[in-house]
Amino acid sequence: MSNIKYLLLVSRQGKVRLMQWYTPLTPKQKTKIINDLTPLILARKPKMCNILEYNDHKVVYRRYASLYFICGITNEQDNELLTLEIIHRFVETMDTYFGNVCELDIIFHFDKAYDILNELIMCDGSMAESSKKEILNNVHAMDAIESNDHLDRILS
Amino acid sequence: MTSLYAPSADDVIQRLRPFGFFFEKSLKDLIRGIRSHNDTPEQLELFLEGQLSECRQEANSSNMEMKTNAILKLTYLEMYGYDMSWCNFHILEVMSSNKLQQKRVGYLAASQSFHKDADVLMLATNLLKKDLKYGGSNDVFKVGIALSGLSTIVTPELAKDIVDDLFLMLNSSKPYIRKKTVTALYKVFLEYPEALQSNFDNFTSKLEDPDKSVVSATISVVCELSKKNPAPFIKLSPLLYEILIDINDNWIIIRLLKLFTNLSKIEPKLKGRLLPKIVELMDSTNAASVLYESVNCIISGNMLDENDYDVAFQCLEILNRFCNSQDSNLRYISCVLFYKIGKINSNFISQYDELIMKLISDIDISIRLKAIELIEGIVSEDNLKTIVSTLVKQFVGDEVAIIETNRGTSKEIPIVISDNYKIKIVNVILNICGMDNYSNVDNFDWYNAVLYDLAIVSLDLNEDDLGTKIGNQLRNLMIRVPDMRHTTIVNIIKITSLDSVEVRLPTILESCIWSLGEYATYLENGDALIKLFIKKGLHMPHSTQDAVIIAVVKLFSSWCTRNSDQIDYIKDILEQMVDFLTQLNFSKSFEVQEMSIQMSEILKLTLEALEEQSDEIPLLLSDVLPSFFNTYELTPISLGTQKQLPKGIDFDIDLPFLSQEDLDNILDDQETLAEEDMDIYDSDRFSLVSDDKNYGHEASYEDGSSDESETDHFNDTYKDFDEEKYNEERKKETLSNPFYLDEPTGDGNHYKFSDILSTDNEQREKSLNAMEIIKVNDNSHGSQKINDKKKKKKKTKKVKVLADQTIVIPGVTEVDASSKNNKSQSLPNPISSKKISLRMHTKLEDFNFDEQNKNNSDEDQALEHLRSKFEEQDINNDNPNTSNEDEVIVIKKKKKKKKSKSKEDGTSKKKKKERKSKEGSLEATPQL
Repeated sequence: MSNIKYLLLVSRQGKVRLMQWYTPLTPKQKTKIINDLTPLILARKPKMCNILEYNDHKVVYRRYASLYFICGITNEQDNELLTLEIIHRFVETMDTYFGNVCELDIIFHFDKAYDILNELIMCDGSMAESSKKEILNNVHAMDAIESNDHLDRILS
Repeated sequence: MTSLYAPSADDVIQRLRPFGFFFEKSLKDLIRGIRSHNDTPEQLELFLEGQLSECRQEANSSNMEMKTNAILKLTYLEMYGYDMSWCNFHILEVMSSNKLQQKRVGYLAASQSFHKDADVLMLATNLLKKDLKYGGSNDVFKVGIALSGLSTIVTPELAKDIVDDLFLMLNSSKPYIRKKTVTALYKVFLEYPEALQSNFDNFTSKLEDPDKSVVSATISVVCELSKKNPAPFIKLSPLLYEILIDINDNWIIIRLLKLFTNLSKIEPKLKGRLLPKIVELMDSTNAASVLYESVNCIISGNMLDENDYDVAFQCLEILNRFCNSQDSNLRYISCVLFYKIGKINSNFISQYDELIMKLISDIDISIRLKAIELIEGIVSEDNLKTIVSTLVKQFVGDEVAIIETNRGTSKEIPIVISDNYKIKIVNVILNICGMDNYSNVDNFDWYNAVLYDLAIVSLDLNEDDLGTKIGNQLRNLMIRVPDMRHTTIVNIIKITSLDSVEVRLPTILESCIWSLGEYATYLENGDALIKLFIKKGLHMPHSTQDAVIIAVVKLFSSWCTRNSDQIDYIKDILEQMVDFLTQLNFSKSFEVQEMSIQMSEILKLTLEALEEQSDEIPLLLSDVLPSFFNTYELTPISLGTQKQLPKGIDFDIDLPFLSQEDLDNILDDQETLAEEDMDIYDSDRFSLVSDDKNYGHEASYEDGSSDESETDHFNDTYKDFDEEKYNEERKKETLSNPFYLDEPTGDGNHYKFSDILSTDNEQREKSLNAMEIIKVNDNSHGSQKINDKKKKKKKTKKVKVLADQTIVIPGVTEVDASSKNNKSQSLPNPISSKKISLRMHTKLEDFNFDEQNKNNSDEDQALEHLRSKFEEQDINNDNPNTSNEDEVIVIKKKKKKKKSKSKEDGTSKKKKKERKSKEGSLEATPQL
């Protein structure tokens, strides 16, 4: 079981694209984590492992095209491989949702990306739903309801 | 905004698909704007400020669309670091919208921005209660959103208010809602553990839910909860075990294994059932993450016994396979597990030395960093040299990693060896060599060479700690390996005369200089060193100056007894030294000041004596001065021995050490005594030490004759020389002399080299001097060779290493010497610097599930007060046990309250008993 503490999406240029904190941290700490981790991870070579230690916890990251998915996990308890799997599942789901997802999709539809993330990972950073189909169903259903809302609005 | 309604093709599509029409455009404008203003940070800043103030206005508008839009943009801008907590109330408004889209945006913003904002949350409570009501098919997602949102913003108060609604929803007909509720409950339990206690069965029944995703979520939550407080979940283990056997979903299996890891930590009985199952699982599965988790479960769940070689090797085999795989992640995590197995019993990993050696040379530095921690588990006398040479080679850092690209070509990427890693290498080498009192080192010539290499490497690492450690090693070698002192001292001189060592690694000097002083008798031309130190000494850091002052005097004393015929030269040196020390009299460091004044006064006296008596060196110089330093042979003592010294020993300070008569006698007998000493003193022990070392302890009585030495040697009043006294004396001496302390006391960093221009010349001179010294030393070594050839032969064999001396002082308990020894066996803990801690403290961790109620202490105090009143009355009361049933029930409750309180206090049953009798009195006087 993976208990993710935070998830960051950082571009190759070091820009934050998405961030979700599953632990209450002060804004200062958040900035520090981002500022510390970004250069550290961007500097890593392709053949190096995807796990590094930072402060008192581990950080697992994986690169997809120009985006780095970075997860902070607790040191002793978490399964690093599983965390990588979750990242992959997230990417897969977005890929299906957006249809061949790219960085721009995530930039412009960041709220959708958050929605998918919220379906996949619960508040406490634990995996809520491992089925890609299920997540997509839920997100699509929600989108449909929203569309109805809009239809109502336009009709009125 | 006009472009929004321009009839472009894009907009037509937008109208056909009304969803996101207004919003998207606006957020997109913002994002596009950011992208087009990206040239300079200032430009971006300006743009964002403008956008922010726009958002502020929009958020204040009464139009919900506009407001939602603004909130969405603000949520985006929060990623750029702009605080949005000022609009929490607006977020709340958006959250309460009936439109799902707006609600979604509202909850998203809330989860990013409502960090324990009590005011807003109070208002949010009712909203959440409303949103959690399920009323129709479309509400599924509304509830879902509310649950997700709730879990990110929950506080104890909110949890208390909302928990009943959540438990109702556990029985919802929709699996989606049940699943979300279970996960939301996790956060609620963390904040409000009482809820779990009272609804434990209700909650855990979800483990048997027909829907798999609900079961999965429940397992996740139980697993997370058990991390904080495993005790209440032990009783679930049969059920969980059933699930583990039945299920074939790897996601869930991993979570179950995690859960069992937590449970097994506090319930060792689980091992009997679990271990065979896990071993079976390891045989049957192919998934790397399940294998990894199984091994982790066995190790972290304390299921691996120290002697359980079968299971250990099965685990290690898996790890071995991982370590040899292409996947660097697998290699990394297996390294970590290897380390944990090694911690249980280092014999387990000792046969994997080849693998570990391979990992040390891994292309990924972070794997090397992990593997290097394993080295201490595999090191032995046979492989020490190989390991060290492998590590030392890595300092050169010309390795390359060959990476195959997709097109089939390969390119070389140089492996960057970070300083951090280099520092670790130095530390590890020092550790493995120094382990168990140098039991792995069979050739100290080699070790000296290694230390020299390390010192050179450390010059560039800019880590003061390393200097201290290497210096300590050199000093230890000097003290502990008497046979190798000649080689070591040459090495020390080489290191002290390294280029700009005072600037780049000043911390190494203190121990080195101390060693040079302490073993000055091994040096023939101490005068060269004295001159060198005098020249350099003024620019050294204070802690090193401390060492220099005493070392100079030691060097001088041993040198001039050796060259007692060159009176004029001695005088010259002496004058230079006095000059040097007087300059230090005004040092900023108090220690330096004190020490230099002390020493310069003694030397001034000596100088006077020398001037009076110019034909031969005065007694003060030939006997008194050496007796300061050479009275006792230094031996290593075990850690903490100094602390065992009984405190408050009384000394009669007024009593003279020697009467005038005694003094005269001694002065008369001086000559003969000194000669006798040489013969008497055990020549085996000092076989390598040259003549002037041989001052017997009797010579120290001379100390009394010179007033200045009083401070140093008042302990010499002990006349009878037995072992215990000897030790005590020695320790007194140790206490009174700051140079026996291990740690540098002063500030080693504030250190300026004032005339950089002259350094080059000085350095050259210095190294020249060093060469000279070394030469002379080789000579003396040569003569030593002739003297006893046996010693020379021994060199290749194991050299005798002095062990720590333990001094037992009657009446004083030994201070954790044993625990110190244990430590050397097991692997050390990896150092972790803690700045940002992800560990959050939750109430659940301290929550005691056996308690029925948590009562507030005010109430308790009042009760206590009442009780004491009753007690007083109890004396007058004859018949305490007349009570009816109702009252008994009341009292029982109170007892429980008491119980919980006494638990907090840490005092137990005794108190309860007392209270029972008091409560008896309470029954009797209900009307009060």
